[in-house]
Amino acid sequence: MDGILSEVKVLELAHAPSGAFCAKLLADQGADTIKVEPPGRGDPARHEPPFIGGEPHPDRSTAFLALNTNKRGITLDVEQAAGRSLFLRLASAADVIIESFQPGRLTRLGLGYEALRAENSNAILLSISYFGQHGPYANYKGDDLIAQAMGGYLYAVTGSADRPPMGTALQQMELTAGRNGVIAIMAALLHREQTGEGSHIDLSVMEAAISTPSGLIHPYSYTGRSPRRGSMDRNVMDGMHLPTRDGEVTLTTAGTGGRPMEVWAEFLGEPRLLDARFATRQSRTDNWEQLRELVAPKLAQWNNLDLMRETMAKGLVIGLVQSPEQVVDSPHLAERGYFVELDHPAAGTLKYPGPGFFFDGANPMQSTRGAPQLGEHNAQVYCGRLGLSNEELDRLRAARVV
Amino acid sequence: MSAPLLLQGVRILTLEQVHALPWGTAFLADLGAQVIRIESVEHLQDRKAGPFPNGKAGAEWWNEGGHLVYYGTRNKQSLCLEVTHPAGKEVFLKLVKNCDVVTDNFRPGTMRRLGFDHESLARINPRIITLSSTAYGYTGPWRSAGSRARTVDAACGMSYLTGYEGGPSVRASNNYMDHSTGNNVAFALLLALYRRQKTGKGMRIDLTMQETGVSCIGPAILEAQHGIKRPRLGCGHLWKSPHNVYPCAGRDRWIAIAVSNDAEWVALKQIMGAPPWAQDPRYDSAQGRWENRHELDQKVADWTATQDDKELIRLLQAHGVCAGAALTAEDLVNDPHLRQREFLQEFERSPAVGRRTFAGRPFRIPQLPMAIRHVAGLGEHNEVVLREVAGLSQEEIRALAADGVISHRPRAEERAP
Repeated sequence: MDGILSEVKVLELAHAPSGAFCAKLLADQGADTIKVEPPGRGDPARHEPPFIGGEPHPDRSTAFLALNTNKRGITLDVEQAAGRSLFLRLASAADVIIESFQPGRLTRLGLGYEALRAENSNAILLSISYFGQHGPYANYKGDDLIAQAMGGYLYAVTGSADRPPMGTALQQMELTAGRNGVIAIMAALLHREQTGEGSHIDLSVMEAAISTPSGLIHPYSYTGRSPRRGSMDRNVMDGMHLPTRDGEVTLTTAGTGGRPMEVWAEFLGEPRLLDARFATRQSRTDNWEQLRELVAPKLAQWNNLDLMRETMAKGLVIGLVQSPEQVVDSPHLAERGYFVELDHPAAGTLKYPGPGFFFDGANPMQSTRGAPQLGEHNAQVYCGRLGLSNEELDRLRAARVV
Repeated sequence: MSAPLLLQGVRILTLEQVHALPWGTAFLADLGAQVIRIESVEHLQDRKAGPFPNGKAGAEWWNEGGHLVYYGTRNKQSLCLEVTHPAGKEVFLKLVKNCDVVTDNFRPGTMRRLGFDHESLARINPRIITLSSTAYGYTGPWRSAGSRARTVDAACGMSYLTGYEGGPSVRASNNYMDHSTGNNVAFALLLALYRRQKTGKGMRIDLTMQETGVSCIGPAILEAQHGIKRPRLGCGHLWKSPHNVYPCAGRDRWIAIAVSNDAEWVALKQIMGAPPWAQDPRYDSAQGRWENRHELDQKVADWTATQDDKELIRLLQAHGVCAGAALTAEDLVNDPHLRQREFLQEFERSPAVGRRTFAGRPFRIPQLPMAIRHVAGLGEHNEVVLREVAGLSQEEIRALAADGVISHRPRAEERAP
């Protein structure tokens, strides 16, 4: 199957991970995606440690490599008039333009929605910002942590009740914004198919953060209490992580037919779990340390994959707390063909995560390329798509427009 | 008369429970698809899940929970039909004939046992799109494993990466995985509909929560292949400092400050009144600040501890320092920015529940409103769906009701939550 979006042209002018991830999700489905980076340093993510091979290198940052698969990359200085006019020419042929400047900046550069529409009457412009295009906080600076904070996630979700908020790893609010972005873009593409009309989408990372836990706004509205982190701190059978021989596991009482302690006592060979101290959820919480002392040594005898296989056979529900190494080496994911192996001139061959869905049994992220090196496709795009001569491109390079 | 909604005419039949799949189909319902949620009086957990007004389930509790409004039956139709009953199965297959999409989140194998696997449905309706949303997918050695959002948070690698600095792994959230998966459901379904519009072809989608989760930790997956260990850092950052949460005046009030470069550090120093400790040359470079971050965090915390979090945001942001308070749900409901942006929506499902506040969608497309318009009560759409989509007569519908194959309320013996 050809990529579903192979006829869609995307132009990405994103400086934040949200926009890069959003464009990557489209590129992975075949969209012809051009990433526009400032000449010289490129996307700030190129300079974020860690790097494949250890030493800083603009084509080896894992953050950059992971969020920019299947894009072509060009450099362009939109601060210069010549750069802006080239951008408008590229935009005139694009279906979707994704940008993540501070609100208002694109318009000040003369590249706002109205300017893009003048070039391309049915353009779809997705503007991603931390707080949205308007409103009292629109000009605040943000990053993933700030979005977690202002989006209510930090206070309510991760961490212990008696400690500071913990926060979640690897820029999840940026990613969740990107995932909302592709839904908005698909809707806008379908709308354009029906009406011929483009649109300007305003996406806020703060609002993406708020809409992510279901236990935030409406639970407060129904009960008058603000949800607070730390609800699972003392729960051995339904929450805590416990060590195994080669990793960690989290147990559940699911699949035990309402007799969790009987079933787990038998499985672990630990009859003391049947003690009345552990009979109810409340008494297990009250006596959680004693319970852990009984359960932990039994689990420590198991290897992760054996434990998963044996619990699965008995209908019990557990979660292996897998390290990224264990995920990469997972026999389950290997058999499913989840990872996509891509070769990259600077980073070598690596397995990249797939999209999370298979179409008619096939991983739709196929016939693909790794993240672009800085300016890798300048000649291809400027000469191929825009029809510039090699001399013109040289002049643009000399003027540091490209 | 308002303009037709985007997906008007698209019919989705969904056998869905709990969280991820209902969250995903809600996006399509918002966009105007006719999402027919099939429910069963045998499995009313979602309708027992609340939250209920002041924590108390009312007389008609099955239609009063807040999660139903936020995603469960928002803009959807409810058909309470026992598909395990032979007559119910027959009705289901009649519906499939006139639908575009069938989604489910049973464990792999259940749809086949019911006779609802993709191949069987495609024989009835060759253009059908099916999507099964599961923890681990239809293939692979873990396909039959049960799951909770928390166990998948663990299995995808997210929990391992989450924790306080130097501390143990912790699950990253109660339902971040559900929502990421639900968003992926909406994306996959819109891709499939887009393709069908171009090619006329249906497809079978096998979508998993674990794999969606792994796609959330891409950098760590690449690092693992080169033996690079990513440490747990709580709110800390791999190479920026000060970049953390700091206490403010009041109980459990915190401000996050994220200094990304030297200019922001200089600005922060000035706002703090240029204290002598901040002139320490070790703090002049990003690397020096990061290497001495624990000490630096403590100094910044001493400064923030007596201040009002919301005033401090305004002060820091006015001077170009990236900062934001750890807002509570109460703060957010009253937040002037969100109010001005009309992000929050007031909705009244019934007088018994009253007017309540809900989070909106994080994106605005001017031509495509996505507000909550209607929330389906249990079995509210039995008649209209069976008549208009399955083509049943009034008599046939009455017979199904008499046999208990369709219902519009829980059984008499059902206990309130």
